[in-house]
Amino acid sequence: MASLLDASKPRINCSMLSQHIGRGVCFVGRVEKVHPTGKTFSVSDGEGKSATVELNEPLEEELSGIVEVIGMVSSKGVITTTTYNILREDKGIPFDLELYNEALKVIHDFPQYYPFEVAASG
Amino acid sequence: MNVPLTKGAVEALCKGLDVDKPVLQLLNIRQISNASSPPRFRLMMSDGQHSLTSCLLATQLNYLSEENLLVPNCVCLLKKTINNTLADGRRVVVVMDMDILKSAKETGGKIGNPTPYNTDGKTSSPQKVSSSTYVPESPPSAAVPGPSYRNYSSPRGRGGSFTGKTPMKASPMKASAIKASPSKGLTMKVSPMKASPMKANSASPGSSAKVNPIASLNPYQSKWTIRARVTNKSSIRTWSNSRGEGKLFSFEIVDESGEIRITAFNKEVDKFFSLVEQGKVYYISKATLKPANKQYTTLKNDYEMTLHAYSSIVPCDDNQSIPTVHCDFVPIAELENRDKDAIIDVIGICKSAEDVSRITTKNSREVSKRALSIIDETGKVVTVTLWGEEAENFDGSTQPVVAIKGARLSDFGGRSLSALFSSTVMVNPDIPQAFRLRAWYDREGFAVNSQSLTETRSAGTGLNMNWKTLSDIKNEDMGHGEKAQYFSCVATVLYIRKENCLYQACPSADCNKKVIDQQNGLYRCEKCNKEFPNFKYRLLLSANLADFGDNQWVTCFQETAEALLGHSAETLGHLRDTDEAAFDEVFQKANFTTHIFKNRVKLETYNDESRVKVTVMEVQPVDHREYSRRLLQNIYKLAR
Repeated sequence: MASLLDASKPRINCSMLSQHIGRGVCFVGRVEKVHPTGKTFSVSDGEGKSATVELNEPLEEELSGIVEVIGMVSSKGVITTTTYNILREDKGIPFDLELYNEALKVIHDFPQYYPFEVAASG
Repeated sequence: MNVPLTKGAVEALCKGLDVDKPVLQLLNIRQISNASSPPRFRLMMSDGQHSLTSCLLATQLNYLSEENLLVPNCVCLLKKTINNTLADGRRVVVVMDMDILKSAKETGGKIGNPTPYNTDGKTSSPQKVSSSTYVPESPPSAAVPGPSYRNYSSPRGRGGSFTGKTPMKASPMKASAIKASPSKGLTMKVSPMKASPMKANSASPGSSAKVNPIASLNPYQSKWTIRARVTNKSSIRTWSNSRGEGKLFSFEIVDESGEIRITAFNKEVDKFFSLVEQGKVYYISKATLKPANKQYTTLKNDYEMTLHAYSSIVPCDDNQSIPTVHCDFVPIAELENRDKDAIIDVIGICKSAEDVSRITTKNSREVSKRALSIIDETGKVVTVTLWGEEAENFDGSTQPVVAIKGARLSDFGGRSLSALFSSTVMVNPDIPQAFRLRAWYDREGFAVNSQSLTETRSAGTGLNMNWKTLSDIKNEDMGHGEKAQYFSCVATVLYIRKENCLYQACPSADCNKKVIDQQNGLYRCEKCNKEFPNFKYRLLLSANLADFGDNQWVTCFQETAEALLGHSAETLGHLRDTDEAAFDEVFQKANFTTHIFKNRVKLETYNDESRVKVTVMEVQPVDHREYSRRLLQNIYKLAR
């Protein structure tokens, strides 16, 4: 787990999940449904597609709105999350998920201009 | 003995050709009633073949009539005539000089059997009763030489319909007095009491099978039937004012020739509201036409219609030829050139739509409103505001084609459009322009770096948000021209000079000149030429801004300075004198804050030295979403 936090965690959306299996990622999306056990919930990204997030410990609080989830992508395409961040909608400027998605696409289309890997390891 | 009349003279005169001293017989002479002093006489001249009624006697020849030298049937030689063309195209022959060759008594009677010559070349045969023959000479609306003309000449004319609104009854009497074919004349006179249209031959009464085009409707004709489709139907509105109350509803109809607005009041509302449905075609007849009240309608028709108790609206099944909607779309880029408050039709792709919001109007009414951005092939974007139900029901998520007919152009934020009560908003309409737009947008439009004509943030001048980076100032030699240049940029404050940031200014309003401390407790202002016991502090900041490319020293005056520092000049002046640390703190806090700056750059020469000076006109917080979108668009553009 510690190594996970050191490695670079590229931001992705649902369509990029399959390319990052076994790697640490950062996923931002809107909370859809929370499983009654509180250990898993679904999030939708800026394109509307959904992914499942699994937690180590069950949720202790009400989760809604947009969250940023950091974790590892399992072989089944589920994000096993280590930490999460709630981007509160009532504070500051509301988060524009669609715009974020556009930015994501740009980052992935032009990796040469966004050398995150180098920054993380260096 | 018979003096021969110049045959063909009337035809030539009607065509505007000059005829050399034609000999014509005077058939009739009539005085035209006019307000100004000298009377004018109208002549009906004949060349034996045709008669010409639009002849005027020059006032210097009035004596001929007054001394009874000009009597019907006398033969005259027109020594000098002038051919005039009136504004509506009719020709008038003014007789400037004439000789009487033979008196009426000598001539004995009418020579030949002249028929009125009409300007489009058709001569009317005496027997034909068709209205078309007489038509071209007479204007559709009562114009120059008034209705009396009509009465006078019509008994002569075989064709009977005419436009004059006035004493029609006079003419049958005249008809009997003159050797025309009075019987035919009479019958024709009596029937169309109201003037019949010039354009449509269906002036002949009772043609319900015939349909008139909307473009030909006018208040001077009452027997018409139109067939048209309802393009826009309003809801019932009630009003209550000092004169009473009532209810109305209105709808707009279109056919191949044009469109017109129809209103129904009170009883007619009950009668017709449920019958009239938007999109359906109806036969409509018998309604009142009056000049359009441009306040309430945006259609291009000089008239509008009001239904009354005898109006009839009948559904029609044959509606293939009627267009569904009649729109005159204006390209968005052209909206800049149109005047504000103009009524415009526009079509575009809805790039984005805000959420619906509720606003309380001045009348304390709550309305829903939604703003959309639409873009078209010109690459320009404009904001359109929808109201009420339309706002609530609108769904912009699929980036639909939106067509709006009759939106009002306003200069809010530069240029923007607002849907009126009478506007029609169509989403993905079934018209060719819509398909073209859709294809264009899917191909390239979505990535176009559109320039919005509407600037909702005041960071722009409304029409031109000239975004630059600080390195552009040097790279493009900005400000080197004759005029100052304006641009906007996103930049971060690196440093603000604390020394000499405040100066003492004249306390009078509107005067910001620096005052001189007289050291005796008084401060003198040179501009006002007065001395004051006080002054007001004003800020004059020298700040260094930077972005990824370059840095730039700029000057900020009072307003922008206060915005950057977050304190008023007075407070800062006070702090400087009292709490040094707090004063420094203010400046520290401002460092490394990022804003949108709107600047003015100009090359200035001061004592042989030229320097590019940049002044901040406005400071705005960064709207990250807007900034992001702009960056994304720039990226897409560069990526092509």
